[in-house]
Amino acid sequence: MSIGIKDLPEENLFTAGHTACAGCGAAIVVRNIMKVLGENTVIYTPANCLLVFGATYPHIAWKVPYHHVAFENTAACATGMKRALNTLGKEDTTVVGFAGDGGTADIGMQALSAAAERNEDIIYVMYDNEAYMNTGIQRSGSTPYGAWTTTTPAGKVIKGKELFKKDVAQIILAHNVPYVATASVGYPQDMLKKVEKAKNMKGFRFLQIYSSCPTGWRHPTDITVEIANKAVESGMWTLFEAVDGRMEITHRPKERIPVQDYLKLQGRFRHMSEEQIRILQNWVDKKWDRDSRLEKALKMLDESTD
Amino acid sequence: MFEVRFHGRGGQGAVMAAQALASAAFSEGNYAVAFPYFGAERRGAPVLAFTRVDSKKIYRKTQVYEPDFVVVLDDSLLEMVDVTEGLKDGGVVVVNTRKKPEELALGENIKVATVDATGVALEVLGQPITNSSILGAFAKATGAVSMDAIEKGIMDIFGNKIGMKIAEKNCRAAKAAYDRTISADGRPREKEFEKKPKWLPDVKELPIGGAGVKMETNAGMIGPGSFLENKTGGWRTFMPIVENDKCVACQLCWYFCPEGCITMVPYDNNRFKKGIAIDLDYCKGCGICAHECPTHAIEMKR
Repeated sequence: MSIGIKDLPEENLFTAGHTACAGCGAAIVVRNIMKVLGENTVIYTPANCLLVFGATYPHIAWKVPYHHVAFENTAACATGMKRALNTLGKEDTTVVGFAGDGGTADIGMQALSAAAERNEDIIYVMYDNEAYMNTGIQRSGSTPYGAWTTTTPAGKVIKGKELFKKDVAQIILAHNVPYVATASVGYPQDMLKKVEKAKNMKGFRFLQIYSSCPTGWRHPTDITVEIANKAVESGMWTLFEAVDGRMEITHRPKERIPVQDYLKLQGRFRHMSEEQIRILQNWVDKKWDRDSRLEKALKMLDESTD
Repeated sequence: MFEVRFHGRGGQGAVMAAQALASAAFSEGNYAVAFPYFGAERRGAPVLAFTRVDSKKIYRKTQVYEPDFVVVLDDSLLEMVDVTEGLKDGGVVVVNTRKKPEELALGENIKVATVDATGVALEVLGQPITNSSILGAFAKATGAVSMDAIEKGIMDIFGNKIGMKIAEKNCRAAKAAYDRTISADGRPREKEFEKKPKWLPDVKELPIGGAGVKMETNAGMIGPGSFLENKTGGWRTFMPIVENDKCVACQLCWYFCPEGCITMVPYDNNRFKKGIAIDLDYCKGCGICAHECPTHAIEMKR
């Protein structure tokens, strides 16, 4: 029986009083992940919003050991801490790196890839809000096509980002690590299950969690969760997990809603032309097709080799 | 020369208001500068912005420490920040509040002007962003710039940033606020504003490993979990009102609250939980709980 909302403890290891914007998706993710991981956890974060709103000197919201590291070396630092803990005989302590999409998809990639290659015994959580929100909404490798950011402005000629979102989870999957999963702030049951699974495994575990950002995405604060839901229902975001490379899509929308239903809720897509929406819809269809084929191929991975 | 200090919260647009005021003064043939005070602010956290206007070229580059006028975009700041600090005699404080100016005790020898800018903004813009409305109130209360100039300033700054259509809407908000602004002479404060002491760590005081140990200092708690000292409830525009009769104890609001300020009321006869309690000390009023509640037991109200 896997963990559910009602099994979570009342105590917050990431306390109230933090200075995240109202309606912050990352705050929901972090607070609930910490409820699953429990007290015996060490946290690493590079530069990101979470760093600023979770620990601004002299205040700190974390009730577990917490370290701030440089932008590019979250996975490397977590590696060092895990090995030190092992030497001290504290093998059961979970070491977690919480990084944003900029600190994972762009700047932290080399350390992350190296740690995945060595199959270090750590959990790496990438909370994906699809831009560098902490520094004021600059585009990252994880920003989707068409999205407005301050570095991909919507002008007369070029309207928003012209490149497509990088699929980080698939990159890590290609490293042959024990556990890779994507989750969404809009699907609590799914996310908790995956976090619990990751916690009880050994080796390198990677979670990419979609977390809406009212400030950067220009949407009202109350629809944070609704947007995360629509992202999954439209196929913009695929929920899957892969245990030892066996990929399985964990939530398959019965009928995918048009991508426009997801876009129209957010100010960052407001300028998009019909042509652009068509291009994005096309991209989503292709991605979904690719994910489905991948699942088919990778699900039976061991049946043919064992 | 006159100097203005804006007290706002991140996201209310204090910086843009300061810029639009500078642009307004510039359009009347003055020299003007506007600049924010930078910190690690998020939406809702107290922020500062300044405008300095002169008929001659401006060489002073400091923050504004002795303002002629103070603009407060959020009345909940009055309890947190000493808004009249350094305000010159005869100065004016413009406050966004539903109270009358006579109800605010901010000090003698000053003028206090009030306007319900949040109400105006919700009416005209549909969003509680008060930076344009408060400029209308500023023009009425101080007379330092004309309402025409304010409109020009808004069209210039807002128009460039968010488009002419929305800028025009903001002009309408400013005009509406201009008409609704009322002023009165300031009343003496009932008690002196208590400034929170700053915590400056001493090497001997600082525990090994930084703030790894929870400790009490003269400025409050530091260390693990000490953010609880930071009451974020003041950021709120809308307040959640709960009807516990409708609650089915699904715990969705409890899960989705970014602050973790919702607690479930304990079990009743070992069957259901009775409902929820929201800690308004921390609730930022995002409204996720109300939006996600399957039985609409929570409503957001101003």
